[in-house]
Amino acid sequence: MDIDRADLSAALMHELKNNLSLLAMNIDSIPVIGQEAHDHQVDDARLLCQKVIDRLQQALLIYKATQQKLTPAIDVYSPMDLLHELRDTALSLARGRLQVEVHVADDLPEIWFFDRTLIEMALINAIHNSLSYAKSVIRISAHRDAQNLIISVHDDSPGFPEHMLQSFATNQPYASTGTGLGLQFAQVIAQAHENEGRQGRLQLRNEHGAVFSLIVP
Amino acid sequence: MAIVSFRNSEAVVNYGELRVLVVDDYPSMRSALKMTLSNFGVTKIDMVGNAAEVLFKVQNNSYDLILSDFNLGEGRDGQQLLEELRHRGLISLETVYVMVTAEGGYEKVVSTAELAPDDYLIKPFSGEVLRSRLDGILIKKLIFSTVYRHFEQHELEEAIVGCDLIIKSKPRYVVDALRFKGEVLNAMGRFEEAEALYKKIIQMRAVPWARLGLAKSLFSQKKGEEAEELLRDVMEQAPEMVAAYDLLAEVCLSRKDSAAAQEVLQRGVAISAKTVRRQQRLGEVAFENGDLATAKSAYSSALEKGRHSIFVGPADYGHLCRVQVEQGDLTGALDTIKQGKHVLQANPDAQLVSAVVRSLVHTKAGNTSEAEKAMDEAARLSREGAHADERVMLDYADACMANGRHDQADEIIRTVARNAHDSESLLAKAKQIYENSGRVDAGAKLLKEATANVRTLNNEAVILAHKGDFKAAVEKLQAACWEAPYNGRILMNAVWVMLKCIETEGMDEVLLEDARKLLADAEKLDPGHTRLPTLRKHVKDVETRFGIRRRNA
Repeated sequence: MDIDRADLSAALMHELKNNLSLLAMNIDSIPVIGQEAHDHQVDDARLLCQKVIDRLQQALLIYKATQQKLTPAIDVYSPMDLLHELRDTALSLARGRLQVEVHVADDLPEIWFFDRTLIEMALINAIHNSLSYAKSVIRISAHRDAQNLIISVHDDSPGFPEHMLQSFATNQPYASTGTGLGLQFAQVIAQAHENEGRQGRLQLRNEHGAVFSLIVP
Repeated sequence: MAIVSFRNSEAVVNYGELRVLVVDDYPSMRSALKMTLSNFGVTKIDMVGNAAEVLFKVQNNSYDLILSDFNLGEGRDGQQLLEELRHRGLISLETVYVMVTAEGGYEKVVSTAELAPDDYLIKPFSGEVLRSRLDGILIKKLIFSTVYRHFEQHELEEAIVGCDLIIKSKPRYVVDALRFKGEVLNAMGRFEEAEALYKKIIQMRAVPWARLGLAKSLFSQKKGEEAEELLRDVMEQAPEMVAAYDLLAEVCLSRKDSAAAQEVLQRGVAISAKTVRRQQRLGEVAFENGDLATAKSAYSSALEKGRHSIFVGPADYGHLCRVQVEQGDLTGALDTIKQGKHVLQANPDAQLVSAVVRSLVHTKAGNTSEAEKAMDEAARLSREGAHADERVMLDYADACMANGRHDQADEIIRTVARNAHDSESLLAKAKQIYENSGRVDAGAKLLKEATANVRTLNNEAVILAHKGDFKAAVEKLQAACWEAPYNGRILMNAVWVMLKCIETEGMDEVLLEDARKLLADAEKLDPGHTRLPTLRKHVKDVETRFGIRRRNA
């Protein structure tokens, strides 16, 4: 029998991911008992578990994108709903150790066209990073300019390391750390979004912490 | 307590009130989902493992939310389940249906143009995400509840007014309301308005479902070329959107290019093989094209995938046998009859299919006496009121004609023509049978006479109903039903005017019983017809309004 190796690894990742999600649900059911030594361990386990699930999901999507072009399934969604969903996810992972703020610009459109699944994956990735590095607060915000919806994750960490911003700006491949892979992934997603000839993009900068922005046309 | 209530103008969802059905074939996933739901206060949770259990559950309980995995193992998937639930009117538009899928499958769910689920979630998801999505959907359902109610009561004008109100006052739901309005306009036959509406959406963004809606309105206005160009483009942009393939196949058929239609259907089947009706259509088109191998495999998969589905019946065994007879595979045909035994013996209609295909097999094999016996049996069943699929019956008429049984053939074709007065392809096939047997003039005369009366009665009834004279319209359509008891369009028109008549003139229990019976007949003919759910709801509404409880309900 001839087994396609790539398909086999995809199937394997898939199964691992499903088992991990059951594990994540089990961790969710462990009660908070108010003892730092216990609760902290559980929180770390939860976050790590989510990160691994995420990474597997990304790997599966990237695998798919290598098989065929990554075509986003664009439909209409509410940016506000997206922000709230991200906030709730971040809050549950932060477990009270960090503050999570949502900042909505007055001119935020009620609806926007994008692939919710992909955009959310990219942003959750950024939130995971902020959860690891932020000191006390993560701010998720959205506003629009003339042509784009801009969704950002801002934290009060020491910011992206200079070498990372450098290699990002020059489009060099990063060292194969998890963070680098996640950013590459976010960039692929942003670029897959096109409208009237304009392409989406990812913007990274430091401004009293790290700022991760997806610009969606 | 209502599921959504308002505190200081802020919507609050009372999850303790929500009745939920969880559908997943893995017990561990089921209990995990139950735990997730109970984390935010849901207590009323039922759980099942496959589609058949869902059908049983929903007939005995009401649910506000069905949370179903897309992949349900063998048999139907989550999308087919949703379609069957909505087609059979087992759940209303207000019931929330959320599909759970793996990341590889979400395009398929997003690309569902019609009967799309309310939302989808990619595994794994957290309780927070599920809750946040449900909050959004339940509030949307509340905003659309008036629109849904009107739609289900067949008050389409009012449904459109409701959509317009949302479009004007709720920017968050503009596109959702436009989408619903577009479907209503297409369903009402207001294609020019639908066209303008879809163009407006496309100006915002060329989302595939809007382009499909536009193609539908164009095709209905006989602008097949424009529709085709658009559909081919949609298939590039969203290759998973199978509804585009189905519509394009119809466009190709309308320009008499059945080879192209077959090719498109085959591509659709390659993307989603489980849909029984696509396989049936492919079988039919391939058979017409003389591509017997494809026809055979399509009909075989329809039978295989459609076990326990409402869309599969004795006719499907009949069609497979017809293909096999044409292939000269008589043993295969007899095998098919044997395999379908339980279905083909179930009732006189099924026995008729069985007798007809046996007569075809024996005629082909040259067993004259066996063929005669089967033909006599078919004739008897037919006389006693049994009815079978029109294409099966035309093959039967062909066999009768070949055996010199002209009167019997004429009688069969007359019946087919009355019941299919609006079907170009069946009438053409009937004409062909007369041409083959050299009775061209006799055939033309018979077909003209057979269809004229039904057509006239129906047209007159439509005019009367428009004028509001439902009583007279009922009489016309009752006469038409008498002539053509298996004509789906006539039956459904009759049901509708009967119900309107009761609504305007007051309760008439005999008429209501008649309407119920005709609706059941129409249902048997074409269980997936888009008009059925609204008619079913209409019957229920009339019953409720006049305080009538159905016996043996």
